[in-house]
Amino acid sequence: MLRLINFAHSEVFMIGIFASLFALHGLGIEAGSPPKHGMALVGTLFVAMLAGMLASGLTAVALERVAYRPLRKRNAPRLAALITAIGLSLFLQELFALRYGRNLLPFPRVLERTQLASFQGADIRSDKVLVFVAAIVLMIGLERFIAKSRLGRGVRATAQDSETAALMGVNIDRVVVLTFLLGGLLAGAAGGLYGVFFENARYNIGFLPGIKAFTAAVLGGIGNVRGALVGGLSLGLLENWGATVLGGEWKDVFAFTVLVLVLLFRPTGILGESLGKARA
Amino acid sequence: MSQGKKRLFRVVALFAIAALATAACGDDDDDNAGDNGSGSGQKQTVKLAFVGPLTGDAANLGINIRNGAKVAVDDYNDGDPDVRVELVEFDTQGDPAQASTLKDRFITDPTIIGIVGPTFSGETRAVLPDLEANNLVMVSASATNVALPTVVPNQRVFHRLVPDDDVQGKGVADYIIKSLEAKNVAYIHDNSEYGKGLAEGTQKLVEAGGVRTALIDAIDPKAQDYSAAVNKVRAAAPDVVFYGGYYAEAGRLKKQLTDAGVRATFVSGDGALDPGFIQSAGAAAEGAQITCPCNLATVDAGGKLGEFAQNYKDLNGVDPGTYSTEGHDAAALLIEGIKDGNTDRQKLLAYVEDLETFDGVGKEIAFEENGNIKATGVFFFEVKNGKLTLLGTTEELVK
Repeated sequence: MLRLINFAHSEVFMIGIFASLFALHGLGIEAGSPPKHGMALVGTLFVAMLAGMLASGLTAVALERVAYRPLRKRNAPRLAALITAIGLSLFLQELFALRYGRNLLPFPRVLERTQLASFQGADIRSDKVLVFVAAIVLMIGLERFIAKSRLGRGVRATAQDSETAALMGVNIDRVVVLTFLLGGLLAGAAGGLYGVFFENARYNIGFLPGIKAFTAAVLGGIGNVRGALVGGLSLGLLENWGATVLGGEWKDVFAFTVLVLVLLFRPTGILGESLGKARA
Repeated sequence: MSQGKKRLFRVVALFAIAALATAACGDDDDDNAGDNGSGSGQKQTVKLAFVGPLTGDAANLGINIRNGAKVAVDDYNDGDPDVRVELVEFDTQGDPAQASTLKDRFITDPTIIGIVGPTFSGETRAVLPDLEANNLVMVSASATNVALPTVVPNQRVFHRLVPDDDVQGKGVADYIIKSLEAKNVAYIHDNSEYGKGLAEGTQKLVEAGGVRTALIDAIDPKAQDYSAAVNKVRAAAPDVVFYGGYYAEAGRLKKQLTDAGVRATFVSGDGALDPGFIQSAGAAAEGAQITCPCNLATVDAGGKLGEFAQNYKDLNGVDPGTYSTEGHDAAALLIEGIKDGNTDRQKLLAYVEDLETFDGVGKEIAFEENGNIKATGVFFFEVKNGKLTLLGTTEELVK
């Protein structure tokens, strides 16, 4: 919305993973502890995700305050913000590398991996269901928030034309902070889930998901929440088809070839049409 | 004093301090040169260079080797010898390009007379021609690429303490065929030069032994989700899964395989031999089998190896890891030469070239003409009760 790629978002995500790990440790759940059941499980997951969301949300807002707002106030060129973002990303990565080491930190197993059902040879497993459902819920929540609420309207207006929005009485600073907060909260929730699912944390763990998220957003149509969902799902499916048909080492080649092809014919992404028209 | 004058004064003072410091350093160099020539009353110091990664993704292996070498150097210096040894560190981040930019610094320093490392095959290849041209002897604890001794024709400086990838591959293959009696093997690698080479090399040898290949596939070491490969393995139902790659990914892969219900025996190479594998795989690590041309030192091992493990832990605050033993032996071997009075590059090189045997803490060391170590067995480890436990060498296990 600020026409800015927040490269440091990968690190916001990484901080979310670390925060949920520390929250689990805080609850006395260490690597090797037995998995939880019933209410204890729900509570643990809730605490882990909440910790991730809080930490990531705060980080994102702090980043905005310290790094992006001063640039915006001085009307610095976008390139400067981009470089700042890359710098922040490296700063946070190295900070965590020096503090917590460069090795993987293991997560305790919180959720037992039980096979719930089998469909055409594919497993439907408890942990996967959790991630899937949580992703859908968060996406619908975000989409409703942006589309319906007053603040959401402000976000959309600022994205379209920040000067006019300001003239109409939208508090741009507040909207920008809100956007960062939202992004941070979602990254933190994702971090909590990521930690529970993949069960490890590392200083550079956010890098690849960051790249993938950006790719998914471009594929689906930038500035479009539904587009991002469609983009993410397509990218995941493409990668795995590519890996199955052509072999694992070809998965990125295949996925990114399709991305280039899609962008050749639909430069605004799969669902990017409406926004493209609105801008034109 | 006015503001302007004050500032000028400060600048001049700074320059003066800098000049003094430079002069002091210069004096140091002169002292060393004098010692080398005359052997006067003052203690002489020679330097060994550690070359390998101390930061970056592959830092663990480099740190293990450096820490091992430090034990050997400290041991020696504690005896208050006439010629002290100093270990200087050059951090390549495991990157051949970094190694190339760093190499001038250790090649042009005449007080550096031997090299512990380089750690990886790629960086060894990058610096080897210059080492040869400058008679700077190297003993690598871990570079296993088969072609290294022939990179520079008729070279003398190259030495390594572990057998090359072919020997390791053969040991692994024998073990999979004869000891595990596998019928159907799946190979997965991380697409790195090391991992792919090891997986494909092993596959060739195992197939030659008449064992079917279920599949060969690659994973992306930077990714977390290996479900594409895991699903393929599950569908193929092999009785052994061989992984070529490093410990962090090996651990994640093993965990995801176990979670998906794959019960095949998990076998991997030296890159996976690290307590980090067990951390990463958690309970799923149990029963995994890991081979290494290196001997892992543990305090429980007893004897020289156990004593080394204890010293290592006292000095570095952590347990020895993969190649720590070899890092110690590489440094100890060079120090043995220095003890015998070989305190310049030419003499130390000649000493290592003429060396018959050296009794290391890991094993008996002897070099072939080309600098390879004379064939020693491959060591096999199994994860038992959350610990890497030595099963034995290929000679003992494969009958």
